[in-house]
Amino acid sequence: MEPQEIDWRKFEAIIDKHRVETWALIPLLQDIQETFGYIPEESIETIAEALNLFPSQVQGVISFYAGLSMKPKGKYVIRVCRGTACHVKGGRSILRFVKKELGLDEGETSSDYQFTLETVACLGACFLAPVMMVNRTYFGKLSPPKLTNILAEYGKEKGEDKNG
Amino acid sequence: MNRLLSIEELEWYRNKILAQQDEGKICLHVCMTGCRAYGAADLRSALEAEVKKQGLSGQVEVRSTGCHGICAKAPVMYIDPLGVQYQEVSPEDATEIIDLTLKKNQLIDHLAYKDALTGNPIYYRNQIPFYKKQVKRVLGNCGKIDPTNMEHYIAAGGYQAIVKALSRMTPDQVIDEVTAAKLRGRGGAGFPTGIKWGFARQAAGKPKYIICNADEGDPGAFMDRAVLEGDPHAVLEGMLIGAYAIGAEHGHIYVREEYPIAIEHLKIALEQMKELGLLGENILGSGLNFDISLKMGAGAFVCGEETALMASIEGKRGMPRARPPFPAQAGLNGKPTNINNVETWANVPLIIKNGMEWYTQVGTEKSKGTKIFSLAGKVNNTGLVEVPIGVTIRDVIFDIGDGIPKGRRFKAVQMGGPSGGCVPAQYLNLPIDYDTLQRIGSIMGSGGMVVMDENNCMVEMARFFLSFTQSESCGKCAPCRLGTTQLLEILTRITQGRGRIEDIQTIRDLGETIISTSLCGLGQTAPKPALSTLNFFLEEYEDHILEHRCAGAVCDSMVISACQHACPAGIDVPNYVAAIAADKYEKSVEIIRERNPFPAVCGRICIHPCELKCRRGELDEPVAIRSLKRFASDWYFDHIGKPKEPFPVTKTQKVAVVGAGPTGLTCAYFLAKMGYKVTVFESQSVAGGMLGIAIPEFRLPRKVIQEEVAYIESCGVEIRYNSPIDAQHTVNDLLEEGYHSVFIGAGAQASKRINIPGEEEGLAGLHYGLQFLTDIRSGKEIQLKGKVVVLGGGNVAIDVARTALRVGAQDVQIFYRRTKEEMPAWEKDIEEAIEEGIVINPLWAPKQIIHNGGTITGIEFMRSMTVFDEEGHSSLSVNEKVTQMVEAETIIISIGQAPDISFLSKDSQLERALWGSLAVDENTLATNIPSVFAGGDFTTGPSIVINAIASGRRAALAIDKYLKGEKGRVEIVDEKTAMKEDIGLALDEETTEEKPRIKIQLEKPEERVRDFREVEKGFSKEEAHREALRCLRCDLEEK
Repeated sequence: MEPQEIDWRKFEAIIDKHRVETWALIPLLQDIQETFGYIPEESIETIAEALNLFPSQVQGVISFYAGLSMKPKGKYVIRVCRGTACHVKGGRSILRFVKKELGLDEGETSSDYQFTLETVACLGACFLAPVMMVNRTYFGKLSPPKLTNILAEYGKEKGEDKNG
Repeated sequence: MNRLLSIEELEWYRNKILAQQDEGKICLHVCMTGCRAYGAADLRSALEAEVKKQGLSGQVEVRSTGCHGICAKAPVMYIDPLGVQYQEVSPEDATEIIDLTLKKNQLIDHLAYKDALTGNPIYYRNQIPFYKKQVKRVLGNCGKIDPTNMEHYIAAGGYQAIVKALSRMTPDQVIDEVTAAKLRGRGGAGFPTGIKWGFARQAAGKPKYIICNADEGDPGAFMDRAVLEGDPHAVLEGMLIGAYAIGAEHGHIYVREEYPIAIEHLKIALEQMKELGLLGENILGSGLNFDISLKMGAGAFVCGEETALMASIEGKRGMPRARPPFPAQAGLNGKPTNINNVETWANVPLIIKNGMEWYTQVGTEKSKGTKIFSLAGKVNNTGLVEVPIGVTIRDVIFDIGDGIPKGRRFKAVQMGGPSGGCVPAQYLNLPIDYDTLQRIGSIMGSGGMVVMDENNCMVEMARFFLSFTQSESCGKCAPCRLGTTQLLEILTRITQGRGRIEDIQTIRDLGETIISTSLCGLGQTAPKPALSTLNFFLEEYEDHILEHRCAGAVCDSMVISACQHACPAGIDVPNYVAAIAADKYEKSVEIIRERNPFPAVCGRICIHPCELKCRRGELDEPVAIRSLKRFASDWYFDHIGKPKEPFPVTKTQKVAVVGAGPTGLTCAYFLAKMGYKVTVFESQSVAGGMLGIAIPEFRLPRKVIQEEVAYIESCGVEIRYNSPIDAQHTVNDLLEEGYHSVFIGAGAQASKRINIPGEEEGLAGLHYGLQFLTDIRSGKEIQLKGKVVVLGGGNVAIDVARTALRVGAQDVQIFYRRTKEEMPAWEKDIEEAIEEGIVINPLWAPKQIIHNGGTITGIEFMRSMTVFDEEGHSSLSVNEKVTQMVEAETIIISIGQAPDISFLSKDSQLERALWGSLAVDENTLATNIPSVFAGGDFTTGPSIVINAIASGRRAALAIDKYLKGEKGRVEIVDEKTAMKEDIGLALDEETTEEKPRIKIQLEKPEERVRDFREVEKGFSKEEAHREALRCLRCDLEEK
């Protein structure tokens, strides 16, 4: 699987939507991130021009916020929570297990663009620690058997060569 | 719905809604916010389908609501007006709920909350202990209304506060009311809200702004999320009131993007407000113009800081700036801006609607109202709680939270997230308030409370928090950017076993500097977790650095498996358990003997610190390690018994050991193994020390002790019986006789006296615990009759009571000064004693012993209990006016032991420590006289046998170093045995069927009290095999 091709017309429409807003940069970037999964590096100049900013300012904002990325992400973004409650309840071993199962390190995307592995500081579902999110879905009270099932559902076979 | 043009139109609308409400309808409140992460959506669909199927849509409403609070039991639903609350509900339960509870008023046991003690179901929410101490004000609507349906909010009294403000109060009056209510910022800093509003109101500049900080970034905090998801209008109405009071025209809510449901519900709520004209121009015809826009965070914790937040709203990098100017003077766009936290805003409508008199009914002197806490971590009832400010931490964690799972011990609670400090056990009775928490180095913070137990490592927690703040540091100011990186590096090194003792002072210095020089709150508070853990848990840091020991058995670099690390003697548990599974019992015992020459004894009486840390215990129950050890050693003594030959003597030096108890014999054994000639001097005619003297036959048969001692003697250790070391034959004499080193392991065998009136020597019927047990053990004829009173709460007291029962006492009662839970005795023994008919009377302290003509007739007690002051110091408080008289023929005093150092001659150079024992170096056990070492109970006071054994081995290593002329510390780290058994045990198991721990069989209580037979039966071969296969082989895990 490849990251999706950028539909530049859609892109223009997003820019137009936010053009008239005050302080539009972050909402605009978030919209692009949400729609395409990342912010293409080539688009920075266009964005800067539309909002009357310097390209360096746009790049500076993208690089500051963890939620904005210039690298395409996988179809399923797995966010393992590393918050305090999850940590106290064994979140480290969950992360280790997921890393091993997917063959990915934090911040990495599988070569088939199926999975991206990230960690997040706290998802606010602490009562279900340890927790992880796959895209918008939460999974709580995790354990290795549960993880194997969840990952299998998202199309990962246990023990298969991941980056093949 | 048309725009409301006036207050009257809003009230008309409200009346219409109220009239349309169907009082008779049953309503199922299904939490669809937090519980959605655990299957609530499917549950709701199932309930709706079932209601429809049964044709009950007219009478039953299935409503999606916000959080019910007891999130640990998700999914949760409440049935109104019945008052029944069901938990852990699955979609499959829908039919049962409709059929039984709704139609037949029958309550369903398996869906009800279970009482912790009795296990009985509690069906009604108002009887569930979790809710009893809570006061739901801010969360009043949460769990009742549908947060996406504005009419619910209005019907519940929503938007009455803004109406009151607009029609009957001036903006200044609104500010005065909020100030008088003593509402303090709930975001954590606790600044008086009304005063902050006043600043913004008085500041010059237009337009003014209102901001709601909904960037709840503290890991472990989810209060704001619940309010935003469950009752968003409460927050928005608060902002509307604030806008009126301050004179603001624009508002922003800054929500972190990781909260999609909160964002969704806020968007809906804002749309609804706009539609009704509650936002926009000329709100309700009052002339107030105000709009609110939603901004989403983009994944930066620092944007929770107000100046960084404002920068982010302006589309910039979220970097803080210096204050002054404060936002009230110059905020967004340089204009006066008032920022408040979600919970603070949600309190405002309550204050205005109900008045400050009502509001100030709860709370403390300086901080009124309630606070929402998110309870998480090692606590049974994780979830959301709302309590009056001023309740104690104990109330929240133990009453509301129902304590620590699996009966583990509370260690600390982190309050205030990465900006806060840990609160250890001595402060459990502290009232929760902004000021009290600050005094002990923590903060109230936003409300996150993460509970930790004995299996957490405080150094690792500090490292964890630093890794968070370091990665979230924006990088603008050097103290934070560089300081957090350095602190993280130091803490990481310590957890990796590469710490240095100077690091401790460095952490303090660095921490203080970062706090006083950082630009914003992130840096100013980032060192606090490290400083507070260092303050309260200094020993953990020192142990990591000097001894490579992790109290929680967490830090990978020093822990191979938690069980081995928890064992004071460092026995390679997984390998000896695996050897048993492989039927290699002799090998198993050999592995144990690498660290502990008393496997059969420990297999019976060790309190197994290993099992308390066993990771299998996280899944179901710990592996029965102690019983497995007993099984293997019993087999050894039945089939083999003695070693093939003694250890060869390869060294010329000889060592003397004083005392043939577990400590002395362990030291002798390991010294002999190293090739030294060892002679043990024992004052009694038998060896074993406390083992043979004080522990009753029914817990540890003499035969077992004899077999272990004989084994050690066969290894080449010479024991000279009836050879006391005392004034006639001193330690100095031993040195002059040519012993190159002496180890003193003489134990702690003098009984303590209570020193109360009536405690006179020679009274008939008055005994001291240890002497009593010794006499019985040595065969003395003691027949008790009638009533026996035992004073004390430790293992000796329990052993005394059970022994008394077996030598004729008709009735034995134990009296202890504190609660049963505070008794130091091993829980297992307490339970077995109760099974045998012994009565335990807590909270009674002895006042006076009554005797007549030299014989005891009774004893008078007075009420007593442990009390804590606010500083956390505990003491015993007695009430002499509340007394009881107890008749008794025999009183046995077992309140504790102390070492008897009278045998050391008075002019001995050996230093004596405070409470009468010997002062030794903790690492080498060396006394102030070179070549003389001491350890075990003799130096520490009464302890557990495995500690005594570990001490003996440490002494052997230290003496060996000394005799070789080596300097430096004794390093004892976890090591794998060379005799590995690399089978995976539970790891190799394919099935997921349940494998509970094999129960240890006991002799029947009514039979076993008749004599001194061993109470515990050992495992059978088959049982041992099955139990050993439960081990998860944590030691084979790749790090």
